[in-house]
Amino acid sequence: MKARPADRIFFGFSFGSAALIMVILAAVALFLIIRAMPAIVANWQTNSLLTTGPTAGFSSFWAYVGPLLFGTLWVSLIALIIGAPIAIGIALFISHYAPRRLAGILGYLVDLLAAVPSIVFGLWGIIVIRPLLLPLTQWLNDHLGFIPLFAGQASNTGSTILAGSVVLAVMILPIISSISREIFLQTPRLHEEAALALGATRWEMIRMAVLPYARSGVVSATLLGLGRALGETMAIALIISPSIGVSFKILTDGSNAQTIAANLALNFPESNDLQRSALIGSGLMLFVVSLAVNFIARWIVSRSTPGRPKRQRKDGRSAVPSNATSRVDAVALGGASVSGALEGEYE
Amino acid sequence: MTAIVGSKASTPRSGNPGPIPNSLTTGQLPKLVELYVGVGALLVVGGVMLLLGFNVGGWIFLSIILYLVALGVLSSIAENRRKATDRVVRSLVVIAFLLALAPLVSTLITVIYKGIGELTPDFITKTGGAAFDPATLKVTITAGALQAILGTLIITGIAALMSIPIGILTSIYLVEYAKPSSWMARAVTFLVDVMTGIPSIVAGLFAFSLFTIIVGPKAFSGFSASVALSVLMIPIVVRSCEEMLRLVPHDLREASFALGVSRFSTIVKIVLPTAIAGIITGVMLAIARVIGETAPIFVAASFTDNLNVNPFFGPMQTLPVLAYTGYKFPGQDIAASVASSWGAALLLVIIVVILNIIARIVARAFAPKGAR
Amino acid sequence: MKFKNAAVVGAVALTAALALAGCSATSTPSASTTPTADAGVTYKVDPTLTGTLTAGGSSAQANAQTAWTAAFKAQATGVTINYDKSQGSGGGVTNWLAGSYDFAGTDSSLNPTQVTSAQTTCGAGGGLDIPAYLSGVAIIYNLAGVSNLKLSSATIASIFELKITTWNDPAIAADNAGVTLPATPITVVTRSDGSGTTANFTKYLKDTQPSIFTQANGTAWPVPGTSGQQGGAGVVNTVTAGAGTIGYADNSSIGSVTAAQVQVGTSKKFVAYSQTGATNAFEAAATAAPTGTGDLSETLDYSKITNTDSYPIPLLSYVVACTTFKDAAQAKLTKAYLSFILSDVGQKVASVNAGSAPLPTSILKEAVKSLALIK
Repeated sequence: MKARPADRIFFGFSFGSAALIMVILAAVALFLIIRAMPAIVANWQTNSLLTTGPTAGFSSFWAYVGPLLFGTLWVSLIALIIGAPIAIGIALFISHYAPRRLAGILGYLVDLLAAVPSIVFGLWGIIVIRPLLLPLTQWLNDHLGFIPLFAGQASNTGSTILAGSVVLAVMILPIISSISREIFLQTPRLHEEAALALGATRWEMIRMAVLPYARSGVVSATLLGLGRALGETMAIALIISPSIGVSFKILTDGSNAQTIAANLALNFPESNDLQRSALIGSGLMLFVVSLAVNFIARWIVSRSTPGRPKRQRKDGRSAVPSNATSRVDAVALGGASVSGALEGEYE
Repeated sequence: MTAIVGSKASTPRSGNPGPIPNSLTTGQLPKLVELYVGVGALLVVGGVMLLLGFNVGGWIFLSIILYLVALGVLSSIAENRRKATDRVVRSLVVIAFLLALAPLVSTLITVIYKGIGELTPDFITKTGGAAFDPATLKVTITAGALQAILGTLIITGIAALMSIPIGILTSIYLVEYAKPSSWMARAVTFLVDVMTGIPSIVAGLFAFSLFTIIVGPKAFSGFSASVALSVLMIPIVVRSCEEMLRLVPHDLREASFALGVSRFSTIVKIVLPTAIAGIITGVMLAIARVIGETAPIFVAASFTDNLNVNPFFGPMQTLPVLAYTGYKFPGQDIAASVASSWGAALLLVIIVVILNIIARIVARAFAPKGAR
Repeated sequence: MKFKNAAVVGAVALTAALALAGCSATSTPSASTTPTADAGVTYKVDPTLTGTLTAGGSSAQANAQTAWTAAFKAQATGVTINYDKSQGSGGGVTNWLAGSYDFAGTDSSLNPTQVTSAQTTCGAGGGLDIPAYLSGVAIIYNLAGVSNLKLSSATIASIFELKITTWNDPAIAADNAGVTLPATPITVVTRSDGSGTTANFTKYLKDTQPSIFTQANGTAWPVPGTSGQQGGAGVVNTVTAGAGTIGYADNSSIGSVTAAQVQVGTSKKFVAYSQTGATNAFEAAATAAPTGTGDLSETLDYSKITNTDSYPIPLLSYVVACTTFKDAAQAKLTKAYLSFILSDVGQKVASVNAGSAPLPTSILKEAVKSLALIK
């Protein structure tokens, strides 16, 4: 195909944008490394700027960020375990189970929740979730306290990892579910109808036609949710009572793991220069975590998606002829399926 | 459904000498079986718990378990394994949905309930202020959010104007132009992955440091906050748009190329409109994510109670900052501070709702006509 | 206090109302040292001032700064003042050293490193620490049936070191003869974020009970195992919502929570917070520790607070500003604003609107001399 001027300009723009992103993001990374360096190389046992305040009592930078790394992963993992299945369930419900008219409203409601700022989730967690979970906390601690997860002195205030994770799970719900929903709605209509025509139950159809097609996208959505969970600051800082250390307990006040982002926000204002370096260094570690998590996820996607062995290969299976055909098919099925396959036009 | 369904058909194969069995509907549980089993489970668990000690959370939780087990068993006996799985999964999906709806609705109700009383015309149209009475030395604080509303719109607006084109163009580059193996595509994907987990305060520090280099120490400005928000926003836009563009069937592109349409026109006329709903969702998520940020705003734009509409000079306030400071640094009248905090939160939600509606209308205008 | 009342203040006339209010501020009885025939520090705001002040730092001063800003703007309408309370003391000083702020509010005076870098920012004269805000740390609690708890410094230290874990502990009972204490477990609520309140409170524990409170004092709460909450508001809310909770917060932000009476020195006397009590405590505990000419840094030794007219846990916060500004107009404006907040009226405005205690007149007079160095 011949390149026309519009083509070349457009290519130039999109190439330029990609290059610009590289420059910006590389600059941020560089900035972090430069700002973090003094604390990474400092002697934490003798430097008087580090032996007081938030960094007191840690023998080195790594001793400080190690438990924080653990805490970040731990809290995000619990939030993801609670939140991701529910979010995918919501997405499935809206895309494949709910009546069409209702689906539009529900989809909108979930989108709306993505709009609630984290400070509000934090306040909501304090006034609603903390007291709500107190009886459960006490019960789990009394009856299942032999499991390390539920061990320790049960919280009296509600500022537990459990409460923080529940709020975090609610916060990542809208992200995971709205993207998953869009992706479920993009499933080739013919695949779904073929499955149903062969006598598959709805679940079998979803398992055979929808999920394989959507897997990569759902993993991406989950990762975006995880990204938010990893970097979430204010809600966790408001709810969880932190102590920097490796602890699996989720029902206590006094021995909760702390996350990097919350620790950063809590201690940054009152810190001196070197402590600020240490905190920025911990932020740098969050980059490493995000990278590792994304890398693992991409690996999972490329291994487990038969139809899309590499993300970049253009998918040969999505043989959807056109919008119009799938519309007709949807109508032919008596409107049982959500129509508007390519749009997610459920309003 | 025929009459047989209405009878007590939980064991339709038990040789019930009723009407002649209809081969299409035998082996089916009644239409409302989920409802019956659900109510049954609630009653049974409730009854047992009344004897042993009642508690709402445990009641609902155990009822759900009993319900799923009973439904599964009933359906595998009366129907078959496949249908049993189908019913259980359907129930799980609905339960997941109801479970999720509770906190979501609770959040919204809390924000509306706590914030609605604060949303007076004065709160929306006036800048917050303080009146000083020289006779008593008393300072009376009046709540007002105009400076924060304008600040939010200006800062987020500029951030969106910068990030959305860059983000969409980059995802177009990644999906439509770059070879998957090219180092550029790999590098961009790598950096975008890394940046999804950037702590927001770090983005603020970066932007502020950048601007102190450019304009000197007094670098607090709405614009530097916008840059901070862009750093947070771009990876989300790229990530979600990339995913949506990849979902556009390749056949559409090939059909277009086969007709001799240029790549530019194919992207603009075929690919983007097909993916527009997904892209808009992604963009709105990105906006919603950054519009509620507090930390980068007060690092890069500092804090003020005064009205400032010049994004390039001086501190600016935003609604989340107003909400945060109202809670964390309440004035002497703690209740009033917290109330204005909720008012700001509700305003923020309303703004995002309006933006969402506008975005949907835009998406509708650009979407392919066949899908209406 | 070693300050001489030698400073001759420019007797600038205030409006009648302000002057009256100012006098009532200085006439607060202070039993210890201050001579009563003291002329206060008055300052007349120049109504023709214009410009913008950018500042930030200590959140303890937040309400006082809001009140000062409003009062100052009421007199000089052309001035805009932005005080960023979300920065915290560390953020305030960092931004000030970087030249982003005209002045900063901070809960601890500049440390030696900062004093050195201040000379880079402000020229050879360096920066000036000037006390601006005085309040007290309140010990707040929520215990059903107990409304006037008394606590000795040893008991407070043991509770916050988590050595006493139930409310009916003999140590608490000994402080509260005749009060029936429940066996409720104690939940200790502390700050999870760095704060000047924590710094002042841990310094108090360290000074008065070094053998019980063995942890390091500083801006971060040092004892693991407590319930950490963000911000003074977080501590107040959690103490209010809990049962058997105890915590500490700046007295000006505790709202309607009950505060304990605290033992003074080693006496058997327990006192509640009062503005006069905080002022007296400051006079007893403070020793000048200047880092340069005109600098008014103070070292507080809480173990010196023994007089029963004092509240034993005062909380002090400073403003810091350059001696030499790069911009003369900003210098003039900053000087005017700081002169106002360090006048009798300024201190009175803060005490009416933010619940703070007025600084002793002797300090305000020293401050006038220090502010004269700003150019």
